[in-house]
Amino acid sequence: MASQNMDPAAASSTAALKGNETGGSVPKGSVSKRLQQELMTLMMSGDKGISAFPESDNLFKWIGTIDGAQGTVYEGLRYKLSLEFPSGYPYNAPRVKFITSCFHPNVDENGFICLDILKEKWSALYDVRSILLSIQSLLGEPNNDSPMNSVAAELWDNQEAFKAHLHATYKN
Amino acid sequence: MKDGRSVSMPPGLPAAWAAVTAALVSPVAPPAAPDETISDALALLCEQGLGQYVEGWLLETLQVRLTTDVAPEFWAGLEHLDGDSQERDRARALLDAFRTLFLRLEPFLGGLEQLGSWQNEGRGGLVGPGAHGLRERAFSVIRAILLFSPSPVLQQRVLEFYSRTFSVHMRQVREGLEGEEGPEEADGECVCPGCAALPQLCWCKEALEQLQELSHILSRLQLLERVSSEAVTSILHRLIEQRMEQRCRGEYESSFLADFNDWLEQVLGWLSRVFASEVGETGTRSVPADSKPDQPGGAILQRWRCHMHQFFCRIYVNMRIEELFSIIRDFPESIPAIEDLKFCLERTNQRQQLLTSLKSAFETRLLHPGVHTSDIITVYISAIKALRELDPSMVILQVACQPIRKYLRTREDTVRQIVGSLTGDAEGCSDLANELSRADPVTLETQDSEDEGSDPDEWTPDPTDALTDKMGSKRRSSDIISLLVSIYGSKEIFIDEYKTVLADRLLHQLNYNTAREIRNVELLKLRFGESHMHYCEVMLKDVADSRRINSNIREEEARLPAEEQPPIPLSAMILSSEFWPQLKEEKMELPAVISKAMEAYTHRFEKLKAMRTLSWKPHLGSVTLDVELEDRTLSNLSVSPIHAAIILHFQDKSTWTLEELSGALGVSQELVRRKLALWQQHGVVQEEAGGRYSILETASSRERPERAVMLIDSDEEGDSNTTTQSEQREEKLQLFWAYIQAMLTNLESMTLERIHSMLRMFVATGPGVTEMDVNELQAFLQKKVRDHQLIVSAGVYRLPKSSQ
Repeated sequence: MASQNMDPAAASSTAALKGNETGGSVPKGSVSKRLQQELMTLMMSGDKGISAFPESDNLFKWIGTIDGAQGTVYEGLRYKLSLEFPSGYPYNAPRVKFITSCFHPNVDENGFICLDILKEKWSALYDVRSILLSIQSLLGEPNNDSPMNSVAAELWDNQEAFKAHLHATYKN
Repeated sequence: MKDGRSVSMPPGLPAAWAAVTAALVSPVAPPAAPDETISDALALLCEQGLGQYVEGWLLETLQVRLTTDVAPEFWAGLEHLDGDSQERDRARALLDAFRTLFLRLEPFLGGLEQLGSWQNEGRGGLVGPGAHGLRERAFSVIRAILLFSPSPVLQQRVLEFYSRTFSVHMRQVREGLEGEEGPEEADGECVCPGCAALPQLCWCKEALEQLQELSHILSRLQLLERVSSEAVTSILHRLIEQRMEQRCRGEYESSFLADFNDWLEQVLGWLSRVFASEVGETGTRSVPADSKPDQPGGAILQRWRCHMHQFFCRIYVNMRIEELFSIIRDFPESIPAIEDLKFCLERTNQRQQLLTSLKSAFETRLLHPGVHTSDIITVYISAIKALRELDPSMVILQVACQPIRKYLRTREDTVRQIVGSLTGDAEGCSDLANELSRADPVTLETQDSEDEGSDPDEWTPDPTDALTDKMGSKRRSSDIISLLVSIYGSKEIFIDEYKTVLADRLLHQLNYNTAREIRNVELLKLRFGESHMHYCEVMLKDVADSRRINSNIREEEARLPAEEQPPIPLSAMILSSEFWPQLKEEKMELPAVISKAMEAYTHRFEKLKAMRTLSWKPHLGSVTLDVELEDRTLSNLSVSPIHAAIILHFQDKSTWTLEELSGALGVSQELVRRKLALWQQHGVVQEEAGGRYSILETASSRERPERAVMLIDSDEEGDSNTTTQSEQREEKLQLFWAYIQAMLTNLESMTLERIHSMLRMFVATGPGVTEMDVNELQAFLQKKVRDHQLIVSAGVYRLPKSSQ
């Protein structure tokens, strides 16, 4: 976007316009407004260990960062995620997947996450912050009943071995 | 060769040689031999091919004489006086030395003249360079031998003598100008102002005669320029400097150009004496037709006049450059000095010097913590005015004031000061207010656009010292307000600040009188454009509306039966919260009476304006009340609501503790204590042991403090009701930092430009949050880098590993 030398006021309006263009047919003004608001909330919340920001000038594609929670095998590891918001957001759930490969019972080799609130239990009341917090806690408390990665699910009970494998395969 | 020939030497040859040489070395005496003899002798010599040796012999003789006798004699004559000799004697010695020199050389000069004329006539077949050529050669011999390594004593003497004649001359001119008022050095005077000697010993006249003679001799020997130029130059330099120091230094309120011009003309009179012989000679001496025309005196004087003007300009510019800061400070009284400087600066090449000096003067005298912001702004305004006089291209202004602008950006109260003086609030600084109300203002909007009206023929190139920026001269404005506003690069900051100032004023006076504010807003609208002042207009309209609503509600209340009349007459200022700057939040429980009155008011308002309600700001506003005590009444006190609330509580109970009061009011004890101070000063309340406060019903029970001492609790009274610019700014920076951290966490590394455009895109800016330009952002990031919160390499910013 060649807005560096523009009048700030004009630039902000073009930013809004961009949001509209990339969004598709549905009127997007309110969606980008909501996303902007969510970004603001996230910035102001100051949560440690989670963070997210639009990837480029497209407000509908974000990059998220999650640090493994303390006391879990994931402590000290940092994971990048991509968040894509559909035009029907927040009524439709965003598409969230790991960019950093993640050895976890509920994450497959492509980074897809099996998490109920991202699927059938999605609600418009959730926001980026709650998604990231949920994923962060999912790391420490996997749902081993419906594993996507059965190796990880089997290994989970042996935390020592799991941790060793996790750290050996972790690539940032 | 000669010897070889001498064998066949014709008989008359030695006699002919002797006749010719005799005629040449003593031409002053009547010719030793009649013309025919000489002619024959010459013819004979030429026949023998000896003609060319005559001139060689003559010059050789001259050179030998000069080296062996004349030059040593001359120097000895100069130097034989030393130490404690009288100035007058030294002058005489100087003249004598030159007299002797001339006397010694005269025969040769005559001889040369003679030989030259023979050569010119070609008498006896004599050929040669002619009189002119011979003279040139002789003079270069003289100059070479005499002045090859002149002793410093010559310059000293000449300098001394010239200085003296100069003061004699100037005295005469002065006397001439003053008319025949009679000799002022009558009896009281102890020394003659001309020659600094006792009147009876005055040698002014003599000095002038000596000068004339000396000039004459020097001119005859063609030594005048060589000997006097240096002395004259240094005298002129010194005198101009001296005169300037005495007259002009620190004097900026009158122009000195004309004065100096007159004076320089007088000096020129003296110069014409110094170079008098040259001047006069053209007329008096019979010039041989073929000789090189002597330099006309007029040309010499003309040259000196140019020199003097150049000296003058340079010295003047030097002095004024030193003083420029003071000149700027004294503007507009110093306009004459500025104009003089402008005139002279155009003639000397000292703009660079001026810029450097002015910049450093600003830095040392203005831009340090000891100077109040308003003073800096005042000087800046003066500088704008003064420098645009000095340099209409505005380049000096732009370059020299760069440090001021940079510095002002670092002062927190700059905006407030500027806005204050724009609206005429600041004391003693009406410049800006006047500037604002000036007719035909430059709109900040249109200024950026292409200037259609400028005639391409009037285009002039920028001076070479112009800053090479993209803006070009078109954008180099001299409009004071736009210059000030552009310090921060955006007018939004100023408009926001003005909004706060306006809100403060409106909330402080509470009398619905907005005539002045309306005027200011209208004026600012001309500058900033309608759209930017929209909020301010709404604010003013709020005030007008409030007034109307109030009178409406009052009328309604008046129609009520007496028992239903509200106990307290309440007027409200109704603000549209969206449009006013953020007001400080302060919670406070009001006494029941007041709350009830407010409720009633709200009720009526809701009836008047359907679908709207009021949300009260109990801490803003003012209460007028009378305090009735047993033996006295304090009437018409205007206090803040919290003061009123406190004293109202004492109506129910005469003794309260801080704790109780703070509970009842819902504010901190500290605040209650501070607010109680007012009533203590009025002698209404006194503090007792154990933090209890009680009412003083009778004045006699305690000596009342002087009523004149009205020390109101000072900490807050003057405070603004709105959050200040810098607080808002701090908040904004904090917010920005959160965004920057987030974007760097997720996107790893980014360039300054990318961060900037991201911030602009994603930070939801509400009203009151101002834009941040790239430079500001860069400065902010640099600070973070210094604090080790950020790493920068190759223009890319990232977060340090530890904080990840």
